[in-house]
Amino acid sequence: MTDFRRLLETLVSGNVEFIIIGGMAATAHGSAHVTADLAVVYGRSADNIARLAQALAPLAPYLRGAPPGLPFRFDAGTIRSGLNFTLTTVAGDLDVLGEATGGGTYEALLPHTEVHSVLGLDVRFVDLETLIRLKRAAGRPKDLERIAELEAIADERQKG
Amino acid sequence: MSGWRGSRAGGSLPRLTWFSIRPGRIMGVMGDRMTLDSISLEPSPAVEAYKRDVDRTLIRENLKLSPSERLAKLISTLRFVEEVRRSGAAKR
Repeated sequence: MTDFRRLLETLVSGNVEFIIIGGMAATAHGSAHVTADLAVVYGRSADNIARLAQALAPLAPYLRGAPPGLPFRFDAGTIRSGLNFTLTTVAGDLDVLGEATGGGTYEALLPHTEVHSVLGLDVRFVDLETLIRLKRAAGRPKDLERIAELEAIADERQKG
Repeated sequence: MSGWRGSRAGGSLPRLTWFSIRPGRIMGVMGDRMTLDSISLEPSPAVEAYKRDVDRTLIRENLKLSPSERLAKLISTLRFVEEVRRSGAAKR
């Protein structure tokens, strides 16, 4: 089972700049869907990439779905050369994205975030409207149900 | 842009068809890159079709909780699912 607390503690204690998107953000906004992984957008500055690599190293990150034994190292060089990584770690699945579909870089998303205290940690979530935009931009058929629920949440909040 | 368009008759399940629209029309583009502001929040027939089946009672209950409580509830649900899985595996 994904250890959300450990994943978040790892990122927060490593001073990584990140924004939670995806299913966990949907949960924070009121979604009733169950999600089992954590997806974050990270800042692409050299310092933040170094902090991300260093923070995640103890969790033995590896490419999810890849055959075992590949010479994969989630270090600063790998992160710089790539952008989005779907990882498996000893604390559970973790998606670290340099950019979410829809232009969702860390800098672009930052003005559209809210900080919530969860599991004893202050972490940044993408706001509901932007989460809907990102899901719409992804354009995956499997997201239609999720978008419908997120828009229903927005409706319910408005009714207040 | 392309996506799924939904329709349905009576109480039947939504019927989805693939549609394709010239980029620029709905999304707006900046060079080749999509931007957050260019993503339309206009009602989509496919999403509206799914919306009818959203259980709003669950949403209303969740909205009474704080974000932290919502995540605690998720973790508790995941623990339960894991226990059920283990129990099933042990019996096989």
